[in-house]
Amino acid sequence: MHQQDSSTLVLFSERPEWADVTPLEQYEGVNPLAPIYYSEEYKDATSYFRGIVKAGEMSPRVLELTEAIIRMNPAHYSAWQYRYKTLLELNNPLDDELALMDEIAVKHLKTYQVWHHRRLLVARTREPARELAFLSRSLRADTKNYHTWSYRQWLLAYFNEDTLWERELDFVGDLLEEDLRNNSAWHHRFFVVFQSGVRKGDEDRGAVAQREISFAKQYIAKAPNNASVWNYLRGVLEHSKIPFSELQIFVTPYTLPQRSEDDAPAEVIDLENPLPSKLAQLPCVAAIEFLADVHEAAGGDSIMKATELWKLLADEHDTIRKKYWEYRIREALRTV
Amino acid sequence: MSPPPGDLPPFTRFGHGTHCKRCLVGLPGSQVDIDPSKLALAFYCIGSLDLLNQLLDKTKQDDRESWREWIWEQQVCGPYGAGFKPGPYMSSIKEDSTEGNVPQLIVTYTALLTLAILRDDFTRLDRTGIAQLLGVCQREDGSFSTEPYGGDTDLRTVYCAFAIANMLDNWSTINIDQSVEFMRSCRTYEGGYGQFPFCEAQGGTTYCALSALHLSGRGDRISPTERKQTIRWLVQKQDISGGFVGRTNKAADACYCFWCGASLNILGVGTLVDEDALRSFIGSCQHKFGGIAKAPKEHPDPYHTYLSLAALSTQATAARAGPDGNIGHSAANAHVDPSRSTSWELPPLDPLLNATVDTAAWAREHIPKSTNA
Ligand SMILES: [Zn+2]
Repeated sequence: MHQQDSSTLVLFSERPEWADVTPLEQYEGVNPLAPIYYSEEYKDATSYFRGIVKAGEMSPRVLELTEAIIRMNPAHYSAWQYRYKTLLELNNPLDDELALMDEIAVKHLKTYQVWHHRRLLVARTREPARELAFLSRSLRADTKNYHTWSYRQWLLAYFNEDTLWERELDFVGDLLEEDLRNNSAWHHRFFVVFQSGVRKGDEDRGAVAQREISFAKQYIAKAPNNASVWNYLRGVLEHSKIPFSELQIFVTPYTLPQRSEDDAPAEVIDLENPLPSKLAQLPCVAAIEFLADVHEAAGGDSIMKATELWKLLADEHDTIRKKYWEYRIREALRTV
Repeated sequence: MSPPPGDLPPFTRFGHGTHCKRCLVGLPGSQVDIDPSKLALAFYCIGSLDLLNQLLDKTKQDDRESWREWIWEQQVCGPYGAGFKPGPYMSSIKEDSTEGNVPQLIVTYTALLTLAILRDDFTRLDRTGIAQLLGVCQREDGSFSTEPYGGDTDLRTVYCAFAIANMLDNWSTINIDQSVEFMRSCRTYEGGYGQFPFCEAQGGTTYCALSALHLSGRGDRISPTERKQTIRWLVQKQDISGGFVGRTNKAADACYCFWCGASLNILGVGTLVDEDALRSFIGSCQHKFGGIAKAPKEHPDPYHTYLSLAALSTQATAARAGPDGNIGHSAANAHVDPSRSTSWELPPLDPLLNATVDTAAWAREHIPKSTNA
């Protein structure tokens, strides 16, 4: 399991301990489609790999060979698959393999195979705790990496151990503290709070929903033009079947232009309905959209209030979605 | 339907065709990661030429012939049934049955489409074998594994399996409702679909879910409320650059112009996209030596080239569709100048199979036929 740089790799064809293997060159066909001009090292290693697979050999040196290939091409599906089979056949300690993967994964966060291999290993070792620690490190390198997040979600749901869930909310909280537009973190929060069962202390679902609504409000007050937090807020309301109208008082100040210093009213601090900061870019598109949805749900005469807001979005504040807001007007009027 | 003159850069269609042709001729050693999905790359290249209407005059009859031969060489069969492998990277002889030479679902989907683009008659297709493969790959939770003996199982493979079943016109080996349940479990509070259950909503996998539901005639499994929420999420993905982002608050990427634009099209509201802004974004992703990149100033690749073209083609289809949503059969082809034109006009696309309307029609006509001559 030593680390090797592919440029300093001694060709397998030059290693006496591989002399007993017949390397098999790649068959290309008469007129190959999009042939790849392989490097000498890659051609050499994969020829030996084809030879090994043909012979069905599963020995420690297979691990060395597949590691060399994976380092040159982490997308080499067959190398991963054969490596996994060999590990099991040899009864190799899978912890060692995971340690090696820690290093390889961080280099190739965007390669499917790296993560698939990990899932297979951990489903056997059944030690998810060390994985969470690794994931926290690798998310720091790329806070929105889809593979890393989906692996974390799989891990939590698959093992579903109380101790694993314990620190998740704090973990997400820290990430949002660093970047409040990190949608992956918002999504993860929803998953942890609403989609993964009820944990101790969270039995009162109404209170949990209110806690999350307050949490979202604080983040909207910090930076109103953030689609992630609005989507989260909507998600919480819809999931908990709370009508949007319950937030009308909170949302309204965000739908208005920024107050000038003079006409700002003496502020009464309302912790439940934090006001936008003086620096916020107002009016906020998502707030206008939210308020229009409140009016649309009310029906009757309120539909006209909704259409006025949509018109405002179409013509002034969100012109790239002009056709969408006009569509909303048509749809709403169609049902009147 | 032509864009307003002025702001739009010329659409360098000739260069885009050249980029794809160049990749078909050969790839540098730095791109070894293409090997396990070689046939998919071929689809993006040949599909781009199809969308640009350059296949007949930019490629030679002999080349097209040999490409078809090469693709047929990737058809493999075994106890799992039959399908296409990504390429010969694990083969040392022509018909190599050693481990590693197994079919892959995503690749099988792209192989069928590529052969349809090349107007193959499909007499060599192992239809029963492919239907069997779909059954073998389906997991208990309704998802499909990429390969008969393992691999990822996610929404992408559900889509590919459903697209294959649709082209074969054979659903007998699949439990559709179980897959529908799986897709529903990938839906998120935002209104899009994630790659696996519990994962963040993402444009590509949202397309996979919506398209798969419609390919199997299960579009009505999306409730009116869900549909409204999904449309909202999709239009929200177009940002001020004019391009689409794949997830909330990410940067625009040309491929999502297709994944999100086609999703809206499937939901019957393709015209909600700001077409001019979309064209201007894709225009800015064009590389000066041909090809389209994921974002301005990035390197082009066949994947983003194809999906950008497909996005433009989807928009053309949405705009051309009448109020009843019917698309005039290949009416656009007549207007397309295949030469060095810089016109933005492209033939209409079948948004469910992700191929031109003509190619999709060819696939649906020739793939299901029995080989008894
Ligand atoms: Zn992309």
